[in-house]
Amino acid sequence: MQTAIRILTLLLLLTAASLTAQAQTYYVYVAAESEDEVALVRFDGEIAEVVKTIEVGTWPTEIEGPHGMTVSPDGAYWYLSLAHGLPYGKVIKYKTGTDEKVGEAELGLFPASMQISAMTGLLYVVNFNLHGKMEPSSVSVVDPETMTEVARTTTGIMPHGSRLTPDGLKHYSVAMMSGELFEIDALTFEVTRRIHTGTGKATMPSRKTDAPTHEHGMPMDADAKPPKPTWVHPHPTKPFVYVANNGTDEIVEIDLEKWTIARRFKTEGAPYNLDVSPDGQHLIASQKKGGSTGIFDLSTGEEVARIPNSRKVTHGVAIAPDNRYAFVSVEGIGGEPGSLDVIDLETMELVATAETGKQAGGIAFWKIEGD
Amino acid sequence: MVTPTALKRIVPFVFTLLLMAPPAAQAQDEGLMVKVDQPDLTLKVGETAQLSAKIVNAEGVDQEKRVLFFSMNRRAVSVSSTGEVKALKPGTYNLFVGMNRQVYTQVKVTVPYPPVSRVTIVDAPARIYAGTRVALGTEVEDASGALRDNVAVRMVSSDPSVATVDAFNRLTAHKTGRVTITAEAESEQSETTIDIVTNPITRVMLSGGEPEARTGDVLTFSATATDEAGKAVGDAPVIFTVFAEPDDPLAPSASAQIAQDGRFVAETPGLYTIVASTGHLSDQTTVRVRPREVRRDVELIGHGAVSAVKTSDLWVWEGVDGRDYAVTGTWGANGEAYFWDVTDPATPALIDTVTVDARTVNDVKVSEDGAICIISREGASSRKNGIVILDCTNPYDVKIISEFTENLTGGVHNLFIYQNHVFALSAGQRYDIINIDDPAKPYRVGSFELDTPGHSIHDVWVEDGIAYSSNWSDGVVMVDVGNGIAGGSVSNPVMIGSYAYPSGWNHAAFPYKSKDTGKFYIIAGDEAFPDGKPAGWIHFIDFTDPENPQEVARYEVPEAGTHNMWVEDDKLYVAYYQGGLRVVDISGDLMGDLYKQGREIAKFKAEDPNGNVPNSPMAWGPQPYKGRIFFSDMNSGLWIVKLKGDEQKPGL
Repeated sequence: MQTAIRILTLLLLLTAASLTAQAQTYYVYVAAESEDEVALVRFDGEIAEVVKTIEVGTWPTEIEGPHGMTVSPDGAYWYLSLAHGLPYGKVIKYKTGTDEKVGEAELGLFPASMQISAMTGLLYVVNFNLHGKMEPSSVSVVDPETMTEVARTTTGIMPHGSRLTPDGLKHYSVAMMSGELFEIDALTFEVTRRIHTGTGKATMPSRKTDAPTHEHGMPMDADAKPPKPTWVHPHPTKPFVYVANNGTDEIVEIDLEKWTIARRFKTEGAPYNLDVSPDGQHLIASQKKGGSTGIFDLSTGEEVARIPNSRKVTHGVAIAPDNRYAFVSVEGIGGEPGSLDVIDLETMELVATAETGKQAGGIAFWKIEGD
Repeated sequence: MVTPTALKRIVPFVFTLLLMAPPAAQAQDEGLMVKVDQPDLTLKVGETAQLSAKIVNAEGVDQEKRVLFFSMNRRAVSVSSTGEVKALKPGTYNLFVGMNRQVYTQVKVTVPYPPVSRVTIVDAPARIYAGTRVALGTEVEDASGALRDNVAVRMVSSDPSVATVDAFNRLTAHKTGRVTITAEAESEQSETTIDIVTNPITRVMLSGGEPEARTGDVLTFSATATDEAGKAVGDAPVIFTVFAEPDDPLAPSASAQIAQDGRFVAETPGLYTIVASTGHLSDQTTVRVRPREVRRDVELIGHGAVSAVKTSDLWVWEGVDGRDYAVTGTWGANGEAYFWDVTDPATPALIDTVTVDARTVNDVKVSEDGAICIISREGASSRKNGIVILDCTNPYDVKIISEFTENLTGGVHNLFIYQNHVFALSAGQRYDIINIDDPAKPYRVGSFELDTPGHSIHDVWVEDGIAYSSNWSDGVVMVDVGNGIAGGSVSNPVMIGSYAYPSGWNHAAFPYKSKDTGKFYIIAGDEAFPDGKPAGWIHFIDFTDPENPQEVARYEVPEAGTHNMWVEDDKLYVAYYQGGLRVVDISGDLMGDLYKQGREIAKFKAEDPNGNVPNSPMAWGPQPYKGRIFFSDMNSGLWIVKLKGDEQKPGL
């Protein structure tokens, strides 16, 4: 063992000597929801630029709305959810590098966020059903090898954000309009626990409701403002998940062992998507209300930096595996382009922006390369 | 010594190396395999079985790891997380059993079709005249109660000297006598007895039609079989056939057709001999078919160029001031609608622009009185979308009156204004009916949504209190929204009828009552991109009997794909995407392929070197208006053309 460590150290030293003058290059995929295209953005530490644009969808005269993205754990494929079909959406599989389409699976209404489990190798996709009836929707489980939907698990109303634990055993998703966090066993595909992200109380399976609704159809609750959770992200090493309560302008930390809300972080307003740095130090939140990105120190729960984005409607977040940069997609409004903002997590500054197609949203980190 | 700067560089590089290395889980999986107690299963529909599996190492030692079960065809064979398998549909399927995609096996499940439980000969006549021929039908049902069309059925005659049945179940009666016809499917049989009786028919006479016609004209023939006394034999099986002698004899293709109800139509000029036969008797008549000669040239009148963005739909109307105006939408852009003064159609003038929070204004419509314009929104930054109601009494200064987004957040792709209501599509799943008596305070009064699995809607058009919607795989749907024929109203829409076709490409629908024949059609348009390029055609569905709609004709330009359309004065105007604007003669009865019959009157491809895509026609929607044809082209904006010449003197 010691010999192996010595060899590795030597390798690192030799590598260091040859790399001191070299920069790293980061590659990120960003989906433009109102352009039906995906941009591959390269960031070399100074400049972010779109190096390739991939047209997606099958109807050139209809906007199909590419929404969620993920890259397979081995980096060989990227996956994209297309929101609108006839009426069902799809998840499409592409090869990274060549960006050729290799498969697709039809899922439910408005499939959105997704991720592949490190344990099962299966792809878990929420069926957001953003514009549908106020009734529980689902999480689709897809075999990415054959692009076959192998299971569909009913969760809450308008499930949007979803992520798996690093070990791939548990899937978490939040249902925006029923205000719940769901835990699914990645092997049985069954809901194991659910909790209201506003009150922290366990919930019961919900049904289609005929109750009076707010403008988005949110069931009215006289006692509390609805949390409208839009994202969930697990801590890389600790038994916590973080939920963006878009409706109450807060992020809640949920203790997975106690299944309760442990902490609440106030935000600038309307936190939307989240990512936690691989070292577990920072939580990054897109904040729609002010068009900013918030950086939270997870040890204190304090927002240590708030960085205005390049345009309005901040959307997705992806942090590089080296913890150095956060990549943030920003939708823009109307005919203006979307953008990918690069935030340096050491200096807490916006350091680069690349313009993409309209309504940049879904985002997935692909790889780091040495030049 | 490694400096801090060097370390900073090393860490990401090492991380990249780690990313490139095989996942830890994968390394740990090496040598593991799945041991399953049943490598394959055969189950009848509804039967269950329990699978047991474990993950073992190379030595066969159970690693006590959780096993993942899933079905590759879960609607045909299901498997629970504990390995309980249930057969749902016949076929052969695979189950995945393992830890992950590295350590797994597949269990083959065979679900045999249930045995055939019944085969029946249907529509067999009790008696047939000697020397004639009839087609026999069969129906096969299996033990699950399902009707099957994938089972071979063999028919045999008890006495081939009296009657025989060929491989396509056509029975030929050779001489008088009685035969028993037996149908066999798997182990099931059924019989029917048919008497072959003396054929009384001594003559068959053909009547109807015309001695001359044009391509595309539908002629109706009838045949009467009579006995020696001249009395009609009503149940004589008469077959119509046609023999063609095209004027152009070089490599002729099938150039005419005759239906078994006697309706004949030809696609190409020539002599056509219609034959009516029964047994060995026949009668015939010959028709001279001449070219239709409806072709007319198109004169370009004006062009309102739009090149910065793509153009969507259009509407042309007479304003409250008596001048003529048009509005066009924009697609995948900045949420704009353009207003044009087209009083002088040679010089359409852009007079106002309305911008709303959207990326696409897909549809634009104007009320009958020319005062209210409504535009649809998709891609709003707020994701609320909905519709925007405009005051267009002065199209030079259009004002936003209100917006309506309730339950329309998914985007309104198309809309229609009928009297004091807006019919607005919601998220491609239904249409909502919104009262605009007070355009500042619109409110929803009704909604219509199909209940079929996976239903989806694309467009709606309203005439005489009936809404005609186009619904992709559910086809065209007629709904009473105030006509009264089915007791419907705007607050209580009632479905009248529907017609779907197999491609599932139904994108547009337009009602049309033929002045010549009195027949009522719904003209259904496709939208499809099967190879990434527009395709599809126009379907003519005879809805004269709404309970028994029949698709009778098509207009199919082979190299292009349809979009929107309009009908006026027995002419169909189609925006045929890359095929440009097409004008089609749909007068008279309709049967077969109108394109091949030479019914196309005109075509115009809008080519603009400065277009959004230069010189690339992409016709979106047409509207005939005051003797001219307005149409929008996705790549180049608003176009105004007219047909040269007149009906009697087509002007080429």
